[in-house]
Amino acid sequence: MSIFEYNGSALVAMVGKNCFAIASDRRLGVQLQTIATDFQRIFKIHDKLFLGLSGLGSDAQTLYQRLVFRHKLYQLREERDMKPETFASLVSAILYEKRFGPYFCQPVIAGLGDDDKPFICTMDSIGAKELAKDFVVAGTASESLYGACESMFKPDMEHEELFETISQALLSSVDRDCLSGWGGHVYVVTPSEVTERILKGRMD
Amino acid sequence: MISVKMSRRYDSRTTIFSPEGRLYQVEYAMEAIGNAGSAIGILSKDGVVLVGEKKVTSKLLQTSTSTEKMYKIDDHVACAVAGIMSDANILINTARVQAQRYTLSYQEPMPVEQLVQSLCDTKQGYTQFGGLRPFGVSFLFAGWDKNYGFQLYMSDPSGNYGGWKAAAVGANNQAAQSMLKQDYKDDISREEAVQLALKVLSKTMDSTSLTSEKLELAEVYLSSSGKVKYEVCTPDALSKMLVKYGVTQAPVEA
Repeated sequence: MSIFEYNGSALVAMVGKNCFAIASDRRLGVQLQTIATDFQRIFKIHDKLFLGLSGLGSDAQTLYQRLVFRHKLYQLREERDMKPETFASLVSAILYEKRFGPYFCQPVIAGLGDDDKPFICTMDSIGAKELAKDFVVAGTASESLYGACESMFKPDMEHEELFETISQALLSSVDRDCLSGWGGHVYVVTPSEVTERILKGRMD
Repeated sequence: MISVKMSRRYDSRTTIFSPEGRLYQVEYAMEAIGNAGSAIGILSKDGVVLVGEKKVTSKLLQTSTSTEKMYKIDDHVACAVAGIMSDANILINTARVQAQRYTLSYQEPMPVEQLVQSLCDTKQGYTQFGGLRPFGVSFLFAGWDKNYGFQLYMSDPSGNYGGWKAAAVGANNQAAQSMLKQDYKDDISREEAVQLALKVLSKTMDSTSLTSEKLELAEVYLSSSGKVKYEVCTPDALSKMLVKYGVTQAPVEA
């Protein structure tokens, strides 16, 4: 049993035309037992930057709290929000600090950078960044997610189509993974607004 | 005469008392603040108002959006400073980190008095050990928390602090304080507090003409959604307010 599979999680982020979407499942389990069906894995850092944390739930929450600490101080000192690329470097540095006793999380970072250009990236639990132009996935359902995204993704989708695509990719992938599921939580972010939606899938 | 000459022996170290029981370094720090730009804070029933006098006004100064007198410490606390700016920057950074550390542990905003107390404990340390001089800054903290609502605190280099309904620090602070004592009413509204603060500051400031370039105004209040907001007034809005309250003094014709 791997510690990364203890709670179960599924995370995916996709790039669209001047927008991005980030989605997660809602299950929190303790191995085979389901504890919560409304667990939050995606967090807002600021209006144009979202962070998803898959893996061990406790580490996801603690890591998020530490990142809020760092981002708030950055905002106070620089008097502006952090760019997604900068935030990704910060997350990577914080994860590597714990190289020999890591956080058991795999983050997915999605945001709108300069000129509202969408930015997504993921990294492993010790901070190795992986930038992608199309989509990034994480969690126990990641292999299914890779397959679903690869076949369903098209570049330059508008936000409604992006929402449909990411939702279908998420729901079909978590259905093949017993540790993730119980619905979906999708955020679609454009330069002007953030839409948050809950998906109802197979509730198991 | 004699006591002045004798007190010179007790000036040099922060960590010893004089025979009269005074800490001279702390008092000298307060002297430094007495020459700095003034700041006034007023507590009203729906917010706290902070007004500051900008001492550095030169056409050559690169204007930016950042403020000289007012600083945000956390989403629910802000402060106005009077004194040595470099000392203030260190303390503001310390306060910001302390507020975030509290939030990291307790996952809620740090109560205002606890934040003030924590910062004052830091300041007090420089009056008792280490051999380092005290910070030459006085603060006016304005904030809101769910336990005590809106609050205003004043702190000085000794590490002393107090909660106030209206307070002034910096140059001419005694004159400002007595004016505030006369005109402050317990049920003052935020708008009336702004008016009072601008009026008092205009009377105690040395300069002949009062323009929005020489002032900074900030307010801490609750927005309609119930969140604490800290807002610095834009120079245009401030100019309009100065005219509206009749505190703009026309520049003296040569």
